[in-house]
Order: sequence, then C-alpha cells, then structure tokens
Amino acid sequence: MKSVFALAVITFKEGIRNRALFGIGLLALFLFGLNVTVAGFFMREIGKVTVDMNLSAISLAGLLLVFFVGVNLMAKDIDRKTIHLVLSKPISRAQYVWGKYLGILFFVTMSLMLLLIFSCMTVLLLLKIYPDYFLGFSWSIFLVACFFILVKFWVLTAIIVFFSSLTTSSLITLIFSLSSYIAGVTIEEVVFYLRSELAAQEKIISESLKNFIDVISYVLPNFSVFDFTLEAAHGLNIASQRLLVSFGYGVIYSTILLLIASFVFSRREFN
Amino acid sequence: MTKFLPIPILCFALVLYALISQSVWVQREQVRKSIPAGYIIPSKFSRILSVGHQGLLSDFLFLKTATFIGGRSNEQQLMSDSDWTYVVRSLDVVTDLDPYFLDPYMLAEGLLAWDAQMPGEANKLLSKGVKFRHWDWRLPFFIGFNNFYFLRDYDTASGFIMQASQLPGSPTYLATLGARLAYYGGKSKTALLFLKEMLAETDDALLKNRLQIRLLALERAVIIEEALDRYKLREGRTPETLDDLVVAGDLSGLPPDPYGGRWFIAKNGRIFSTSKFAFAKPQGKE
Amino acid sequence: MVIELKSVSKTYNPGLFKKKVKAVNGLSFDVRQGEVFGLIGPNGAGKSTTIRMLLGLIRPDKGAIHVHGKPLRQSPIQREVGYLPENPYLYDHLTLLELLSFCGQTSGLSAARIKARGEELMSKLNLLDAQKRPLRTFSKGMLQRAGICFALLHDPSMVILDEPMSGLDPIGRKMVFDLVMELKQQGKTVFFCSHILNDVERLCDRIGLVDQGRMIREFKRQDFLQSIGKAAFIHTSELSQGQLDRVQSLGGSIRKEAGGHLLAIPNDKYYLVNNFLEESKIEILGCRSEWRSLEDLFMLTVKEQIQ
Repeated sequence: MKSVFALAVITFKEGIRNRALFGIGLLALFLFGLNVTVAGFFMREIGKVTVDMNLSAISLAGLLLVFFVGVNLMAKDIDRKTIHLVLSKPISRAQYVWGKYLGILFFVTMSLMLLLIFSCMTVLLLLKIYPDYFLGFSWSIFLVACFFILVKFWVLTAIIVFFSSLTTSSLITLIFSLSSYIAGVTIEEVVFYLRSELAAQEKIISESLKNFIDVISYVLPNFSVFDFTLEAAHGLNIASQRLLVSFGYGVIYSTILLLIASFVFSRREFN
Repeated sequence: MTKFLPIPILCFALVLYALISQSVWVQREQVRKSIPAGYIIPSKFSRILSVGHQGLLSDFLFLKTATFIGGRSNEQQLMSDSDWTYVVRSLDVVTDLDPYFLDPYMLAEGLLAWDAQMPGEANKLLSKGVKFRHWDWRLPFFIGFNNFYFLRDYDTASGFIMQASQLPGSPTYLATLGARLAYYGGKSKTALLFLKEMLAETDDALLKNRLQIRLLALERAVIIEEALDRYKLREGRTPETLDDLVVAGDLSGLPPDPYGGRWFIAKNGRIFSTSKFAFAKPQGKE
Repeated sequence: MVIELKSVSKTYNPGLFKKKVKAVNGLSFDVRQGEVFGLIGPNGAGKSTTIRMLLGLIRPDKGAIHVHGKPLRQSPIQREVGYLPENPYLYDHLTLLELLSFCGQTSGLSAARIKARGEELMSKLNLLDAQKRPLRTFSKGMLQRAGICFALLHDPSMVILDEPMSGLDPIGRKMVFDLVMELKQQGKTVFFCSHILNDVERLCDRIGLVDQGRMIREFKRQDFLQSIGKAAFIHTSELSQGQLDRVQSLGGSIRKEAGGHLLAIPNDKYYLVNNFLEESKIEILGCRSEWRSLEDLFMLTVKEQIQ
C-alpha cells in the first residue's frame, strides 16, 4: 500500500542519515581490522577464526544499529509527537506499524549489506595471505550465515516495533527488546540444559515446571535457529530443510508480533 | 599569571604520567607471572554466557590458553599440575563451544600427551574431535599413537590406526602400520616411525622442538635396544649393566639421554631412561 | 454542519497515585461549512484535547462527535482535513521536499501534483530556498511554515490549526493571517485555536470560549462591531431611554458600559450624533478604539467562571 511504503521510505531515510551510523561503521571497520591482525595468532584454523570474527562483527554492528537507531525511529515519533502529524493523514494505525517496521527493516538491511561488503573484503584479504588455512571455507555457506543474521534482525526489529507500540518510553522499549534478545540467544542452551538436568536427576518434576519451560520456549524467540556460524566456520553443509524451517520461523514469528502490535496500536491514545 | 597556570600543570601531569605508566606496566608484568592460571567457567554456562557467539568465545579462550602456555614458556617457568589442569579444562570448554575447532585438538596432542604426560586427558579431548571432525584422519591417528606410545594399549591403538587409515587423505602406510601394531606392539622402531610422521604433521615450532628431542632420545634408545638384542642373541642372556654392551663391543659408546637421565634396562627387557623422556619438573612449584 | 460535538467528555488518568484530570467536560459545539471557527480559552481549558479527539488520536469517554452527520468513528476526517499541530516536531533528517512528498503520497496525490502544489505553497510561504535542507536546520518560524505546507498540500476542504501563530515573527504572522483569509475566501472550513485574540477577532466568523472543558460562551461576528465599517466609539454617561432611541435612529449603536453607555457611531453619521449629544448636553466620558474587545469579554467570562 502506498502509505505504508511512503512511511517506510521516510523512516529509512531518517535512519540512514543518523550520525550514529558513522560510529557504528567505524567500530565494524575496527573489528574487521582486528580480524586481519589476530588471525595470524592461530595455528591452523584461520578460516574458522576469520568467519567467527566477521560474523560476530556484523552481528554486533547490527545490534548497535537496531538498538541505538532503530528503537528511536519509532519511539521518537511518539515522544516528540511527530506521530500526531503522521496520523492526521489518512493512514491507519496498522499501516503505521507496518510502515515503521518496513522502514527500520530497509535501514538495517542496507546497513548490513554495506558491512557485508567490507567483511567480504577482509575475508578476501585473509584468503590471499593465508590460503592454506582456509581449507573448509565456502563462500556460499558464509553468505547463507550472513543472510540469516539479517533474518535474525528482521525478527528483532519486529520485537522492537512490538514493544514500541505498547509502551510510551523509548528506554522501556530498549530494555525489553534487549532482554528479549539476550533471552532469545540463550533460551536454547537453557532449555536443553534444564531438560538434561531434569532427566539426569530422575526427579519427579512437577508438571507445572515442565509446562512452564515449554511455554517459555514457545513464547520467547529462539535466535539460535538463525545461527549458522559453526557451519560457515568449518564449511559444513546445511540441509535445505533446516534453512526453510529457520526462514519460515523468522517470518511467521515477526508477522505474529506485528499483527498483535497493530491491534494494540489501534487501541492506543496519543496525548 | 593565572592564565598561564593550566599549561605548566598539564606538562607536569604528563611527565608524572610517563613515569607512573612505566611502573604500571612493569608491575603488571610481575603480577601476571605470579598469578595462577585462573578459573574456567564450565561449558554449560559458557555456552549460555556467550550469548550466541560460541565460535568467537571458543577462539578467544583458545588464544588465551595458548598465550598462557606461551607465557610460561617465555618466562622459562615450568607448568605446574594446576596449570595443566587449567589447560585441560580450558580446552574442554573450547571444544564444547566448537567441537570442530582443530587447533585445541592439536594443542592437546602436542602438549597434554607429551609435556603434561596426560595422554588419557588428551585422548578424552581427541575423541570429541573424532566424533565431530569425522573426516579428519589425524585425530584417530593421534589417539592411536597415544595408546601405543604412552598407554601401551596396543589393541586399542591398532583399532584407532585402522580407523584413521580408512579416512580420506590418510597416509598409505597406516593400514600396514595398524596391522603391524597389533603384532609387534612393543618395539621402539614402531614408535620411531610414528614419531617421524608426527613431526611431519606439525608446523608449530614449540611442538616440533619437543618432538625432535624425543625423536633423538628414541633413536638413541633404539641404538641401545638393537645392541641389546645383538648381545642377547650372542650371549643368551641380558647383560647386568649397559656398560657391558660397550665392553662387549655391541655399542661403541653410550649415547647421552637428551633429557639428562640415565639409561637402564627395564624388567620387560626394553631400554628406558630415568628421565622418563621428560625434562625434570621443579619441586614444590604450583 | 461539518463537525458537531455533543456533550463530549474526556478524563485523563495520569497514573496510579495521581488525581484524574477532567480535560473535557460536557463540551458541545458545532462548526459549519465554510466558516472560520475559533476556539479560545485559558491554558488547560481542553482545546488541544478537543482537537485530538477530532483527529481520532484519543477517544471521548462520553458524548458523540459527528462529521457530516455520521459518527466520527465510522468516517474519520483524515482525508479531507489538513492539520497543523502546536510546535510541530518534524523528522530531523528529512528535507522539506521529502516531507511534503510523504504528505502527498499518503493523501494519494500524484508525483506531479505534489511537485506543483508543493512549489506553490513553498513560494507562498517563502520556503523555496530551504526546500532541500534538512528540517533540523529550520528556525522555529520556518518549521511552523513547513507545518502549514504539510497541512495544506492536499488542498483539504477543512483545516485544523492549533496555535498557528505561535513562535512567529510579525512577518510570519501576517503570512499566516493572509493565508487563513485566503482559505476563507476559497470557502474552506477553518477551525483553529489561538491565544492571540486580536487575530481571532479579525479572522473568525464564530468564536467559542472554553474553560475547564466546557463551552462557556459562543460569540458571533456581530458581537464585534469594530470590523463593520469605520466607526467612532464614544463613552458617555448614562443616557435615558429617549436619548438612546434618538441615537439609534440617527444610525448609532449602543451598549451598556461601566458608568454609562458606549456609542458606536458610523463615521458618516458622526456629526449628526455629535450635534445631538452637544444639544442634549450629554457628558462625554472618553472614547475607545474598539466596540468591545474580545480580550475584555475573555477576561470577564473567565472571572465569572472563577466565581
């Protein structure tokens, strides 16, 4: 819809012109440089270390972008009452939510694409310096891993938009989104650890605890599903079924969040 | 007057800083020498604490461990038992975070099996590697070697060597070696062959050095063993001391043990050294 | 009738331990097609809240709002309305052109129309030079004018302005004033809030005075005769009924004023009435510049409310 797209465009422009981008870009470049320097300290698996560092740098930069720029792209609207102006146009609340989401999405995607270019340059450089130590490396798996880092941020952006539609304060949105992210990357480890502990101890666990763990694992997003760092680091093949499931999970989870956000936003009042 | 005050104060502060930062770095160097290796957070928690960056954390921890070992070596301090325990635990966590990571396995084989004399621990780590790096022939090869050389478990060794021989890229002689092991287990010549192969696989200067010393010691042990065999064949019995071999002319001279120990004939008729093929550990150093 | 409010109430709940605030309390008024309606009142009277309810940003607790006869909820006014908020906060990094482009796209205008209309408004409001600059470099007055461009880009049939003159220098205020006059001449409906009573007097057809969330009084243009041609306003001592009738027959208007009467004498009838006053030896207490200032009424009404 035209309104959604128009809002997405201005949100994107607002984000991409933010000065914070320079700082984050510099940080990423620094990390890539660090990668080139540190790689030589390792005995053999320079390819693995390069992939680890690059993917982590891209992920970290994405996090900073999303939390320092992305959050404000929606929260500032409401704080500063710019949203009054936007909603005075024939744009529905739901369209607003989707427009903002798409705008932040474009912004994150474009920024990460740029970072990816620098990352690939770093990898190419290291490939030239240490060709023998990149035995397992595969460009296609590396790029797949990068793509799914992007998908991870699509879901995180949906979380941010979701919280922005609930609360009035940008700080609360930031805290909740950050907590969700940390929960999301660790939930798998925690759940499997708990399950193994419970199984190992053979205690009679209360049904409610089991159910609680199960519910948590469904409600919180499992970001491990988008993590293909290991496969990219060692050039291990990834089954297409896994890719489809991960992608589908991301899309569906985001959509649900945005639908709820749209509904909540429609009921909301702006003073 | 007051207008110019900030500048001399600044200069003075800069001079002070230059002095104190020097002593800071000297002090830190001393502190780092004296500190014990440190605490390792168990794998389960490490995985959680890495917040999705397991790979990076594994790299970092490995680097930390390698640097620690290197530091001890640079300072010419020997690794204490608690140091080695740290290394074992650390490598365990590193391989839990990323079981495909080759470097820790190489380190385990190079140092744990040899210097730390913990072949069992090395094998434990390496078996993780065998499970995940299922295409890599070197890992079962190392386990096989450890079993043969340190643990004297020739059957197990043979099994692993055979396993290695079936993986892509393995040297062609591995199959024969495996078979030979099962039959000839106890001979030093077999060990020599193994060691030479190990040496060829290593790039690490530190490990190469150690292996070369070991190879030298073994070659000398083999020389003595062969002299012993000649003596036994001729005289029909084992000599009382090794000097008898020199006297009898089977050995031109007793080659020194590069580890500084004395050669002796063990109960099973093989040649060993009091050094146990390792440099002496300092007493009471933890 | 374009907009009709009937007994609308809105209470804010600021928090757990704070008292509820009744922002709007049984407010009723209507705005007619093509008229300029001004809403005035002390701070906190509920003017901005009313506008927000019109725009659907908040929902009234009680009462009903109708637009063209239909309930607001069923026919939101966004399509036909242009809104200028008080102190508009616009996107820092966008240029004016991009902002207007967004405005036009959401209203469904074609790119060509957006360009044409945008240039027209920007030149009228003297913003053509700044069109490619980011909005954060704009001065307060420029932001206000940019907001007006935003409000008028899609040529709405109705315009809602919240304190349109706030923060503008005299040149800016004249610009806005002329603009509203132009809108009026084009037959648009204008609804605005302002503290600047002078402008309200001159622009509005009807004025609503609100206080504490209620409509206290509505004034019509006729109540402010100063804009009806040229007249002289003389303050006299108390006149008898006969004298009052005589003055009125001569063409003057009368109303009671503290200590006597206020006469509004059209300039062309001045000498006639003056002669009468001289003949009747009626005491002249002074003269006024206007018939009745809105400010007087405002103060009076508010004082009454406090009592």
